[in-house]
Amino acid sequence: MLRKTGLLFLFLLLLLPLTQAIAQDWIRTGTNRGAPIRLAVPDFKPSGSDPQNAPLLSVFNDTLWSDLDNAGIFDMVAKSFYPAAQPGQPSEMKLDAWGNAPVNAAMVAFGNLGVNAGKVDVQGWLFDAKNASFPQVLGKQYREDATPDKARLIAHRFADEIIFRLGGGIPGIAESQIYFVSLRSGTKEIWSMDYDGANQKQITKLGSVALSPRISPDGSRLAFSGLTHDSWQILMYSMDLGRTVAFPRYSGDNFSPAWSSDGTKIAFSSSMHSGLSEIFVADASGANARRLSTGKGDVSPVFNPKTNGQIAWVSGRTGLPQIYVMDADGSNVQKMTDQGYAVSPAWSPNGLLLAFSWVRNYGPGVLGGQDIYLMDIASRQIVQLTHDGGRNDFPSWSPDGRHIVFQSNRSGTEQIWSVLADGTHLQQLTRQGRNSQPNWSFK
Amino acid sequence: MAYVRANMFYEREQWKKPLLVSVGFHGALVLAILVLGYVLAPHGTSNWGATGEGSAIHADVVASIPLPHTEESPNIVANESKGVTQTVPQPKPVETEDGISIPGKVTKPKTIDKPQTQERVQPRPTPTPEQTAVAYGEGGPVSGPYGNFNTTSTKGGFSIQNADFGAQFGWYVQNVNRVVSNAWYQVEVDPRVTNAKRVYLLFDIDRNGRPSNVRFEQRSDIPSLDQSAMRALQRIDTFGPLPPGYRGDKVSVEFWFDYHR
Amino acid sequence: MNNSKRLLIQVLGVLCLLMVVNGCHGGKTTPPPPPPKATAPTATLSANPTQIEQGQSAQLQWSTTDATDVALDGNKVDPSGSQTVSPTQTTTYHLTAKGAGGTQEATAQITVAAKPTPTPTPAPTPPPVTDEQLFNQNIADVFFDYDKADLRPDGAAMLARAAQLIKQKGWRVQIEGNADERGSTEYNLALGERRADAAKQALLSAGVSADSLKTISYGKEKPQCTESNEECWQKNRRAHFTLLK
Repeated sequence: MLRKTGLLFLFLLLLLPLTQAIAQDWIRTGTNRGAPIRLAVPDFKPSGSDPQNAPLLSVFNDTLWSDLDNAGIFDMVAKSFYPAAQPGQPSEMKLDAWGNAPVNAAMVAFGNLGVNAGKVDVQGWLFDAKNASFPQVLGKQYREDATPDKARLIAHRFADEIIFRLGGGIPGIAESQIYFVSLRSGTKEIWSMDYDGANQKQITKLGSVALSPRISPDGSRLAFSGLTHDSWQILMYSMDLGRTVAFPRYSGDNFSPAWSSDGTKIAFSSSMHSGLSEIFVADASGANARRLSTGKGDVSPVFNPKTNGQIAWVSGRTGLPQIYVMDADGSNVQKMTDQGYAVSPAWSPNGLLLAFSWVRNYGPGVLGGQDIYLMDIASRQIVQLTHDGGRNDFPSWSPDGRHIVFQSNRSGTEQIWSVLADGTHLQQLTRQGRNSQPNWSFK
Repeated sequence: MAYVRANMFYEREQWKKPLLVSVGFHGALVLAILVLGYVLAPHGTSNWGATGEGSAIHADVVASIPLPHTEESPNIVANESKGVTQTVPQPKPVETEDGISIPGKVTKPKTIDKPQTQERVQPRPTPTPEQTAVAYGEGGPVSGPYGNFNTTSTKGGFSIQNADFGAQFGWYVQNVNRVVSNAWYQVEVDPRVTNAKRVYLLFDIDRNGRPSNVRFEQRSDIPSLDQSAMRALQRIDTFGPLPPGYRGDKVSVEFWFDYHR
Repeated sequence: MNNSKRLLIQVLGVLCLLMVVNGCHGGKTTPPPPPPKATAPTATLSANPTQIEQGQSAQLQWSTTDATDVALDGNKVDPSGSQTVSPTQTTTYHLTAKGAGGTQEATAQITVAAKPTPTPTPAPTPPPVTDEQLFNQNIADVFFDYDKADLRPDGAAMLARAAQLIKQKGWRVQIEGNADERGSTEYNLALGERRADAAKQALLSAGVSADSLKTISYGKEKPQCTESNEECWQKNRRAHFTLLK
């Protein structure tokens, strides 16, 4: 009797972590969790003795390391383990030193950089440290103007090559952009920055309130909501022309635009029909707006980027805002969340996961944190991504589906942060002023 | 006699009360455990996210994610997925280009891919950093860390038809390995399954890295297991383009595994 | 002003007329020499209209009997006829009919109202309250509960009263919905929209016409205060009203 009870006890104990594990089993973020590739990246060697080599090398090495470290698929071997001899050419590469202890790398990226007559030449290789007979995975050569910005660009490109090859054919994101709202100029305007927070620059000069930036899939146009003299309107900024271009003015207030991933449609929230916000879809030019939803207070639509056949959005039709999904023609409405305060849905590039911001326990006086959660749409399983309290909102997926950028006030003011979709590698991207509503480019 | 009988009678009486108490106590204990299990289980807040800002060292408490541990396979020699035990996956002697039939099965025609190197006898790549190293000359074409497939409940391997492909582009096979394990939701498998017959799944990868022609060579007779493996392949859009150094139009891959809970 | 002036003129005119009539009477009182049993002439004179404004014209009509000499203000005219005249000031016209039996006179007066000359009046005293002040005094913010867009009873009552004033004055009103800082930016824009709409519906059902109302939501973008406490949050959960020009 006692023995049976003992076994039962044991069995039940084993069940406890299983339920948590089951949720995690469903959330696949492509980050090789548990089996990352051990990658060694020694500093690139200078080729030649031009004094400009050193500063460019410094920028290049730092950028390359940080791009690969943040890729989400590598386990970077610390430089302190590296052998003393720095390889700059394949002939200088001694694989057994890298493939065995203490480095134990699976892959090594190395190369050289040299400035010559105002141009910088970079040669880079990726070697399989376990394959002495056929070590070379790739070899690349780059030539650009000898400036720090170009050195950074080459590092981004080389890192993306490596990530593409070793990451199952998913392109790297080192050249992608993040668009966001910043108050640092005095009014809320749309800014842009590199995916790692570099090169932050102001784009719009509305002089009023600009919110909800959404870049088009081909990167040529930026849609956003702007407060004009008498109402909110969807405004369209041409990145090529450097100014806003025509977009229809609709009556009432119009905000929270979103692009379909083929660039042909824009969904947005508008009160033109009933005085209350409802979801509309129009052509990319803004024409032919059709009403899709009939709720009270519907905002933040977002297309399923894999199929463009579904739209997720936020509705307050039952009281507190919840996440809903419908087909792109407005039919087949499904409620995805049913408690707390759920806003800001963001669909993963592979169409399988929804990231959103959730206050699970909501109510006046309840100091519930607002955190980013991931939901597997097929199974409705949910995992919590951020844990450190404060308010975390507006998640946006990277094009490789491995990273999420979001706004958080955990540092004291509203700033933009990025994190791997498995919760690791949390990084602050902005520090100046107040920054919010990030949007990751499509490529 | 009477005394003995009285004794037995006495003993029997004695059982009832303590027995009831014992049963009651155990029942309460079980109930308490169930309640505790119920209370603790559904809270999904687990080890998923980072519990601190990105520091240099972070310990990810992983509950039981069935991801492969390709590099860290402990007992390579004893591991049946290694090419060491030549009986299980068909060993491909490097000398021939013909396909070798799997023991006990119908010979299947293998796609012959153009070899790109003249060298036939190549030193086997040394496996992962552990002290367990596959001896030279042993192992199939994708022995070593590349073709090994491991999860908590599955051990298997990849075989590429072209012997040289695995030797020269082991990193690509590793890549295939990773992509498949990331796409495989073993949660889909019926939890009552503990053992399954070995499954052989075949598919092609074209120049652009797209899988095609996914088919079973041998099923496990457990529908949920077969289905979950098939779905894994169907979920995959691309493995990444075939290596530029490879001249063929495609590679044919055989993916086999044993499922043991 | 015009009216009293007019009255004055009319009084003066009447007095004039009386004087004239008296005078005429005076003329009339001289007894004509007894005619040798001839019929006395008759004369009638009428003006149409009898009152005109400066610059306008009127028509004189007359008729006589048994008269051989008919003169209108000294000008020989037919025994019966009409004439258009445009006097610049109040004038009495005399028709004289002479015959064998005597002389008969008739008069008609045309009153001419002078154009009102703008008299230099003292500057008008400013109205005691401007429209804007009146607006703000009577149409205060309405406040809402946490994450709700339902009007509270006091807000509803205020709006019902305000509706009367809006209708009477014919004002155009902008209703601005706001939310406190805690919610999400985009959702708060929709919540502000609902709050503005709730206030609008209340005004519509009190009879205000829809085209005098305009709604807009500011979400949490234009807060009244920025402290992070319930007092400030409540201040921001409001619908605000402004007078549109």
